[in-house]
Amino acid sequence: MIETLLLLSLNGLIWGLIIALIALGLSVIFGLLDIINIAHGDFFMVGTVLAWFVLETTGNFWIGFVLVPLICFILGALIQRIVIQPIRGAAALSIVATFGVSLILQEVVRMTFGATPHRMLPPVQGTVLLFGIQYEIYRILAAGLSLAALGAFFVFLNYTKIGTWMRAVRHDRETATAMGIPAKLIYILTFGVGFALAGFGGVVAAPITTVDFRGGVDLLPVCFIAVIIGGLGNLPGTAAAAILLALMEGVIQSVANPTIARISSLVLMSAVLLLRPQGLFKGFAK
Amino acid sequence: MIERVVMIIFATFLLTVPWTVPALTNPFWVSVIAEILIWSLFATSTNLLFGYVGLLSFGQALFFGFGMYGVGIGVDQLGLSFWPAFGLGIVASMAMALVAGIFAVRLTWHYFAIITVVFSLIFYFLAVSMKWLTGGDDGINFPLPPTFSFGSTQWSFADSNFQYFFILATVALCFYLMYLVIGSPLGKAFTAVRENDVRASLIGLNVYLIRLTAFVMAGFLAGVSGALFAFFGRYASATYMFYNVSGEGLVWTIVGGAGTLFGPIVGTTLFILIREIVSTHWEHHSLIVGTMAILAVIFAPKGLVGLWQDGLDRVMAPRAKQRDSAEVRSES
Repeated sequence: MIETLLLLSLNGLIWGLIIALIALGLSVIFGLLDIINIAHGDFFMVGTVLAWFVLETTGNFWIGFVLVPLICFILGALIQRIVIQPIRGAAALSIVATFGVSLILQEVVRMTFGATPHRMLPPVQGTVLLFGIQYEIYRILAAGLSLAALGAFFVFLNYTKIGTWMRAVRHDRETATAMGIPAKLIYILTFGVGFALAGFGGVVAAPITTVDFRGGVDLLPVCFIAVIIGGLGNLPGTAAAAILLALMEGVIQSVANPTIARISSLVLMSAVLLLRPQGLFKGFAK
Repeated sequence: MIERVVMIIFATFLLTVPWTVPALTNPFWVSVIAEILIWSLFATSTNLLFGYVGLLSFGQALFFGFGMYGVGIGVDQLGLSFWPAFGLGIVASMAMALVAGIFAVRLTWHYFAIITVVFSLIFYFLAVSMKWLTGGDDGINFPLPPTFSFGSTQWSFADSNFQYFFILATVALCFYLMYLVIGSPLGKAFTAVRENDVRASLIGLNVYLIRLTAFVMAGFLAGVSGALFAFFGRYASATYMFYNVSGEGLVWTIVGGAGTLFGPIVGTTLFILIREIVSTHWEHHSLIVGTMAILAVIFAPKGLVGLWQDGLDRVMAPRAKQRDSAEVRSES
C-alpha cells in the first residue's frame, strides 16, 4: 500500500516536472505574445517523435537532447514568422491559426511517422532501490534533466541579454521598443524558445510515454490549467502548479483508478479557479 | 438588396436539396448537407457566447454531448419515444448549462475559457468511465423511434427526405429564435456586455444574469444540435464531448465570422465540404483544413462574412454616400 503510494507519487512528481517544462513554454508564449496556443500539446508530441527519429537514424538517444530542441526552436521561429506575426494582437484569431498549425503538425507526423503508436526503450535500463522500492533509473534521470532544463531556462530569462529583453517586451512593449529592443525579433525568439521547451519535454518523456501523433491532445488542457492556476505570467507559479497537479493525480491514483483521479483533480482545479482566479501563488512570487 | 437576393437563393436551394442535389451529383450529399445544418447550429451556440456576449467558451461540446446522451439514453435505456427523448436531451443540456453557468460566468476571458474546458473534461471522463450508462468511447447505438405516427402511417428518420426536412425545419427555427433574440432588448444587452461590461453594469444592466442567460441559451442551441445529431446517426458517444469538438465549433465560427448570424453557417459549410470532398481523394485532408484555417484568419480577420460585407460596402459606397451617409448598418 505504502509502496504503491510512493511509486505513484514519484511517477506523478517526475511527470509533473516534465509538464512544468511544457507549461513554461506555453506560459512564455501566452504572456509575451498574448496568444492562446492550441498547438502547444503538439509541440510536445513533435518532440517525442523527433526523439524517436533521432534514435532510429543515429542509434544514440542522447544526441536528441541537443538536436531536438534545436530543430524545435527553428520550427517555432518559422511558425511565428509565417503564421503568428500577421495576426499578432488578436487572441481569438490566434486560436484558429494555432488550431491550423496543430492540424498540420499532427498530419505531417501521421504521414511520416505513421498512425500507430510506438514505445521507446529507455536508454538506461534497470532499476535502483529508492526509499525501499525498486525504481527505474531512467525516470530519476528524467527528473534530473527536467530540473536542469528548468533551472537553465530561469537563468536564461533572468541573467542573459535576450532573457532580459524578453521580460522587458512583456512588461511594456512600447517602452522596450523605444529603448531599441527589437520587439519583432523577440517575439520570434520567444515562440522558438517555447517550442524548444516543449520539444525538450518531449525528448525526456519519449521513453516514459508512447510516441503517438495524438500524444499532445491530452496534454494541452493540463498545461493550460497549470498556467492559469499558477497565475498568468507567474512563471515559477506555473512550474509549481504543474508539479503539484501531477503529484496530486499520482497520489489519488494510489487509492482510485486513473479516471477517477483525473476527475477529482479537475474538480479541485475548478474550485481553485473559482476561489482564487488570480492563481494559487499570488503574493508568493513576483 | 444583394443580400436579400442571396438569402432567397440560399433558402430556395435549402428547400429543394432532396431533389436538386441527387439530380446534380450524388444522393450522398443530401445527408452531408443535413450534417452541415446540425453542426452550423452547434457553431451558433459558440457564436452566441463569443460573438455576441464576448465569452470565449471552449466547452460547448459538453452540452452537445448532453443533448446526444439525453436522446441516446432516453431511447435505449428508458424506452422513450421520439419527442420525449428529444425533450430529455434539450432539458438535460439546458440544466447542465445552468449549473455550469452559475459558476463559469463569474469568470471572463482566459479564465472563462479554461473553466469551460475543465467542466467539459470532467464530464467527458465521467462519460468514458460510466460504461454501463454511456457505452464509453464506443458509445451506444439505438433503434430509431418514429417521429410522427398517425394510425398505421409512420414518419421517421428512416425516410431520408423526412430526415432532411425535419433537420432543416428545426435548425431554421433555432436560427429564427436567435435572430429574434439578437434584435430584442436582451440582444442589445448582450452586445453592451460584450463591448464593455463595466459600462453595461453602470447603466443598470445585471451583467452576471445577462451572461448566465446567454450561457443557458447557448446550452439550448448546442443541446438541440446534439439531440438532432443523435437521431441523425442513431448513435451517442463520449468522443463528441471532448474539447477538440468545442475547438472545431469555435474555429468554424471565427472563420465564418463571429458576431454575425450567418458566419457559423459559412464557416461550418466550408470546413465540412473540404473534409468531405478531399477525404475521398486524399487521406491527409487535415493538411488542407489546417492551411485553410491559417489563411482564413490572415486574409479575412473579420471572418468570411465580414470580408463579404466589407466587399459589399466598397461596391455600394458611391451610391450609399448620395443617400444617407449617417445610416448605420445594423448588427446581424
